[in-house]
Amino acid sequence: MKHGMAQRPSPLATAAAAGGSSVAKAMRFLLLLLGLAIVIQSTWVVHARPQDLITGVDGMADIIRRAMPPDFSTLPDQIWPTLETIDIAIFGTLAGVIMAAPLAVLAAANVTPSRTLYYIARGIIGFTRAVPDLVWALLFVTAVGLGPFPGALALSVHSIGMLGRLFAEVIEQMDMAPVEALALTGARRMQVFTHSVVPSVLPSLLGISLYRLDENIRSSLVLGFVGAGGIGFQLLTAMNLFQYQEVSLLLIIIFIVVITAERISAILRARLG
Amino acid sequence: MLKVTRLSLCYPNGKQALSDVDLDVKTGELVIVLGGNGSGKTTLLRCIARTLAPTAGQVWVDGTELTRLAGEKLRRARMALAMISQHASLVRRRSVIANVATGALGHYADWWTAFGGLPAGERTLAMDYLNEVGLVELAAQRASTLSGGQAQRVAIARALAQRPRALLADEPVASLDPEAAEDIMCLLKRLAKADNLAVLCVLHQVELAYNHADRVVGIRDGRIAFDLPREDLSRDAVRGLYLSEAA
Repeated sequence: MKHGMAQRPSPLATAAAAGGSSVAKAMRFLLLLLGLAIVIQSTWVVHARPQDLITGVDGMADIIRRAMPPDFSTLPDQIWPTLETIDIAIFGTLAGVIMAAPLAVLAAANVTPSRTLYYIARGIIGFTRAVPDLVWALLFVTAVGLGPFPGALALSVHSIGMLGRLFAEVIEQMDMAPVEALALTGARRMQVFTHSVVPSVLPSLLGISLYRLDENIRSSLVLGFVGAGGIGFQLLTAMNLFQYQEVSLLLIIIFIVVITAERISAILRARLG
Repeated sequence: MLKVTRLSLCYPNGKQALSDVDLDVKTGELVIVLGGNGSGKTTLLRCIARTLAPTAGQVWVDGTELTRLAGEKLRRARMALAMISQHASLVRRRSVIANVATGALGHYADWWTAFGGLPAGERTLAMDYLNEVGLVELAAQRASTLSGGQAQRVAIARALAQRPRALLADEPVASLDPEAAEDIMCLLKRLAKADNLAVLCVLHQVELAYNHADRVVGIRDGRIAFDLPREDLSRDAVRGLYLSEAA
């Protein structure tokens, strides 16, 4: 009897639950309205006019017609810029990893040696990540001139931010029990770091680095548009000269490079797992 | 070998976790600490290992008083005191032998070990320690592939690699099945005798204490309730430790 009474909700509780439910419904409706307002304002700001797409079909068809067939006679000339593009990404990723790793250690709350260094490292990581790689490329082109080197520098600096943040997150999420266990054996700080932190997080860091390399290959294609070398520069030149058949060849090369990099990166990451 | 005198710990919120604890563990002795949840068993071990700083009292290990030490001196002194816990806390991606050999890192101060290398001689010694815990055939295996009991044995081998004089074990069998728990307790008892270790072990399993301890210490509300040879331990004394919890 007592048990049954305990299960029956009191009138006060029922009223409170009903009140809570109507408030929740009103909140959901408000959120829906807010979402709708955001979609409408973004459509208005970008001047979205679907009819322009329909009227522009002729122009696009004309460009595609002029781009066919791809001009394979220029293929030998594209090998070097393609290699340049890949090498910009490799250099950018490697330099980024080398600089991001120590910064990530300083920026990981659980292993940082001091709070001041933590905030400095977080600041550097935040700044290098916030400035887009294209802007870094423009700055480095101004500083060191046209060519692949400013592109590689731009990717390096931007990678510091992107990798540093992810590396720091991996370190912060690691299981600290083995670290504490090793520290208790009397191992020195550096030994604890290299013998327990590094082996625990290394596969994740390598996986992230490979993913970054894959991203950097795509980014290095675009960097050529601002004079930072590689196949992007060839693409811009061909478009400016209305050589659409060469453009289509370059797009095929870009497609092959991107897909190949993506596959290799995925296979290597799967092996690390 | 391991001596604790008038050890007390009062938390900043005023909670008295330990009060005037006196304890003496001799070489070759296995002392088991029993007590209810929150009685202060683990706090006692953490104060001895100095992962918690006691507010009063002294901890002597092999003639060195630990509570006054800090920094490098504490690190050196701590090497005489190994600790294992409920979870083996191995580096899962490293091999068993590498995990064991890392127990000796504190004895080295060279660049090779600072940058991830293991001293060659320690690998040979690690095989000996693995032999002692009966896992030499798993030396090359990754730590992530071990069962709970095997992992705990490897943690014990790592503790031996540290070449300690005393071993603290904080509920080392809490996550093991009864058979594995029995194996680990037999191993701890054997090591205490064979390696001349002073072993202080916190347990919840009263039967294991009856079967393996040389002495049993009961803790209740942060105070020593009894400290008796196993033979003199009565069921009533043990029941008294858990009475407040049952109520």
